[in-house]
Amino acid sequence: MKEKDRKFYLANITDRFVRGQMDRRSFLGAAGKLGLGATALGMGMGSRPFVMNKALAQEQMQPSAEVISWLKEVGKPFAGTTLKLATESTPPSNAINSQLKKYFEEATGIKVEIEVLPLEQVLQKLTLDVASSLGTYDLYYIDQSWAASFSQDVFDPREQIEAKPDLAMPNYNIDDFMPALVDGISKYEDRWVGVPYDIPIFIMIYRKDIYEKLGLKAPTTFEELYTNSATISKEMGPNMFGYAGQMKSGHYALECEWTSMLWGHGGSIFNADKQFSGNDEQGLAALDYYTKLKAIMPPGVDQWTWDGQGQAIAQGVAASMLSWGEFFPYFDDPTQTKVSGLCEAVIPPQPISLRMPDQCGYGEIPGVGHQGGSSLAVSKYSKAPDAAWIFMQWATCADTQALITTLGGGTGPTRTSVYDDPRVKANARVGAGTTRHLPVVRETIDKYMGSEPDLPEWAQISSDTIPVALGKYFAGSGGSAKETMDGIAQQVGEILKG
Amino acid sequence: MHQSRFTRTLRTIAGWLVVGAFFFPIYFWTSVAFRDAKEIFNWPPIIFDFHPTVRNFEQVFGISLGFSFGNQEAVTPGGGNFYMGPRLWDSIVVASLSTVLAIVVATLASYALSRMNFRGRHEFVNWVLSTRMMPPVAVAIPMFFIFKQFSLLDTYLGVILIHGLMNLPLAVLLLKSFFDDIPAEIDESALLDGASRWTIFRRIVLPMAKGGIAATAVLCFIFSWTEFLFVLTLTQTGLKTVPVVSSTFVTSIGTAWGNMAALGAAAIVPAFITILLVQRHLVRGLTMGSLKQ
Amino acid sequence: MSVAQVKRIAISDSPWPWLAPLIALLIVFTIYPLIYNVWLSFHEFVPRKRTLAFVGFDNWVQLWNDTRFWGALGVTFLYFVIALTVELVLGMAVALLLDAELPGFGALRAILSMTLVIPPAIAGMMFLLMQDPQFGVLSYFLNQLGILDKSTPILATSSLALIGVLLAEIWQWTPFMVLIFMAGLRSLPTEPYEAAMIDGASSFQMFRRLTLPMMSKVIAVAILLRGIDLFRVFDYVFVMTSGGPGTSTYTLSLYAWQQTFSFLKWGYGATLSLTSLVIIMVLANLFIRVAKVRW
Repeated sequence: MKEKDRKFYLANITDRFVRGQMDRRSFLGAAGKLGLGATALGMGMGSRPFVMNKALAQEQMQPSAEVISWLKEVGKPFAGTTLKLATESTPPSNAINSQLKKYFEEATGIKVEIEVLPLEQVLQKLTLDVASSLGTYDLYYIDQSWAASFSQDVFDPREQIEAKPDLAMPNYNIDDFMPALVDGISKYEDRWVGVPYDIPIFIMIYRKDIYEKLGLKAPTTFEELYTNSATISKEMGPNMFGYAGQMKSGHYALECEWTSMLWGHGGSIFNADKQFSGNDEQGLAALDYYTKLKAIMPPGVDQWTWDGQGQAIAQGVAASMLSWGEFFPYFDDPTQTKVSGLCEAVIPPQPISLRMPDQCGYGEIPGVGHQGGSSLAVSKYSKAPDAAWIFMQWATCADTQALITTLGGGTGPTRTSVYDDPRVKANARVGAGTTRHLPVVRETIDKYMGSEPDLPEWAQISSDTIPVALGKYFAGSGGSAKETMDGIAQQVGEILKG
Repeated sequence: MHQSRFTRTLRTIAGWLVVGAFFFPIYFWTSVAFRDAKEIFNWPPIIFDFHPTVRNFEQVFGISLGFSFGNQEAVTPGGGNFYMGPRLWDSIVVASLSTVLAIVVATLASYALSRMNFRGRHEFVNWVLSTRMMPPVAVAIPMFFIFKQFSLLDTYLGVILIHGLMNLPLAVLLLKSFFDDIPAEIDESALLDGASRWTIFRRIVLPMAKGGIAATAVLCFIFSWTEFLFVLTLTQTGLKTVPVVSSTFVTSIGTAWGNMAALGAAAIVPAFITILLVQRHLVRGLTMGSLKQ
Repeated sequence: MSVAQVKRIAISDSPWPWLAPLIALLIVFTIYPLIYNVWLSFHEFVPRKRTLAFVGFDNWVQLWNDTRFWGALGVTFLYFVIALTVELVLGMAVALLLDAELPGFGALRAILSMTLVIPPAIAGMMFLLMQDPQFGVLSYFLNQLGILDKSTPILATSSLALIGVLLAEIWQWTPFMVLIFMAGLRSLPTEPYEAAMIDGASSFQMFRRLTLPMMSKVIAVAILLRGIDLFRVFDYVFVMTSGGPGTSTYTLSLYAWQQTFSFLKWGYGATLSLTSLVIIMVLANLFIRVAKVRW
């Protein structure tokens, strides 16, 4: 059996075992034929998928020897250094923190401390750091919406490669990062604010079994999304709904979903004059559509962020969502959800019309596949920029990304080559941490991705002004759609003026 | 007071019902800690009839079924690392030592405030009280810069200091009223015998106010145990307390409710044990102290 | 030594050595942040330049004209008044109820204090889960009792959201009141009650004419301690509603937090915090005066 087939077979039987289609004895027997003993499979510790992952990690999911030997050599002068990074709790950071950084630490002798926080607290920590040029963090995790604010505080990776050829990782291949992501996440004006590090992106996820039962086809347009969802809510109600949203008032989640609808109707947040344009014809059409769609969603969506939305799908309350693709691997986990193997991912619905980026302001790129990616960069205030640069190359190289994607549970890689990595492809089966949705993620990034505008005031506009006004509108106390949008336009005008 | 049997029974039942109502959320939350996600989200919600699992605890405290400790590489689907065992320890250290700090400083001050008459005492106590009125957000940022200056960022000492400081107004106010209830005549007769203030404080007043001090300590412990903003701002990777790490469970791919509940449920235990240990003192202490006119 | 001499010594005793550690610590903790915040309120953080720029009275003018601020102030007052009233009344009632040696009451008093050791942010998450319209156990109960329609999400309905948040608040802090009141009740002298019983007073009369007056200082201290914290509480709102729907649960402390931490408007955040500080101080001093508290 070839190595690749062996992995695939193992993933397959593991899955059947986890789903209870195979008893323990025949599973062990089959695994034994592959040369894996019970200890390697972590059987002594129970039969849970994450232990499987761990066992697999020990057996095969290790960094390539090439990478390790480079680390050993290049890291030698920096042994004993400690690096600090503050990051959001995302799959790549968690996978590095919990499983992968030990390889890096062993090889280089550099210690890595990762502080995992909710996103806005990361922003606060970074701001305190740069405001006082403290250099308490060596690496910055930079959300796409902060690129403008931090562009002067970090090294441009292309300059680093040139300036320090002896520290450059062989085959790092900076051109491997998907161009759409470099533009949408990392680039500000002409600078690269780090490299794309993770990429949560909106894809269409729906319940295949329900769609088939009702003779429906996966939605390709917004109109279809509505009619399909309405049919499901009508036919299978009152405890099953066609669509679940993320509509919590005053929360960034609501802004994300609204933006996707806005772009899908040919609107944009800012027009070429850098004025808020959600109140134009397309903008109002989008809000009308959103309102119409909300009527067939479960009551309570306005209490949910993406967390409640995801649970609605996972626990079989709703049949579809247009939301973060990172949820998909979780839906396939039979221990946590009631829909393992029942969900399918497709590209987002086609927009009714699409505004071109040059008709928008502040670098906004309309596209239904709303992205929430972030970059990793070395801080200019770091006291060990060279060691940090080595870590950054390692953390974002193709080999590490493949491991993150496999071990970290099916998160979307930011490098083209990783989508074709055999380890990633072997994991494309039904089960926790699947990668079977990744082709859809890749296509969405390449063709349908939407990026929010980039301006320092965006944090306030996106997580307060817009979702508060929309929340008021959906709670029925904000006046008409037109009044709501005009109200936002006026507030945004004031924020940008002041 | 005399009560009929009927009233007593009624009162017993009422007491159990009321406390039961208060206890229910704690029960429910603890039960969530023993569930997989698919048993947390249901309609009708499952209250008693779930299949207990210890997986959440294994992930949070790194204890596997085979009771091998330190299994912190265990990873949840989605790649989360939820190993929080050491953070519980951080919480215990910070809460205990900051309580000691607050109590030591506050007993000294409260004794003086209770026994010595000086001009502006009333205003002084008001000022002490007013230091609790500043919104924590406004204190956190200047504190960050001070801490940076004195290398206190991300250290136990720093967090202990700030929590101790934060509890001083509460401790002073409560302890002063406890001391007020110990008759001043005792001090005076001891002074007549030639004892110094310090001796009186150490040998007479302190032992008498033991219960009140215990009660105050419990409250200080609780406020430190549940404090969020200062720890968030003033630490990085060196230490973190339970309230701050619990926000780690709110990830970019949803909230790990079961794990959060596991940490929350486990975090009740040390604080509750502290309460139980001093509970006897608590009732007696507060009885003596009483805060009354 | 005569008694007069002792009195003299006692009076001439200096309190300052005893107070020195307290004063030293409090100065660091309060005076410096206070000055810093006053200074900050005349500046604003410029994200692009990473510096604080002097803006004069801009922040204060903005505050005066800021409808969001006045709205938040209104919500904060409403929250403050409802929470304090309910916690006081309920706390007193439960304290009176549990102030007896009946089967298991010792355990009950201990169990009741468990709510206090849960960090408010986690308590907020608990109640968020319990009030979820699709999965929540509280929604389910209310639904079964016919009080609440299933299509009405508590935390996303303008008229109900504040009640939903207050549920968590009251659940967590009523036991704090019980703890303090219980201590007060236990220290009351028994003689007045015996006399009143002989006079044939009803229990309610005794509560009004004896318990309440004798407990007045305890109640005053409880109001002060909880009232100060209530004005600054933000965890529940932050976790459960983000101030929504719209701004119907948007409080002053949440506003200050967001300005400072999310939008990096440190100057305006400081202005909001100072305003909040001034309001609490005025209220507290007014209360101390009206309630005739002497320390």
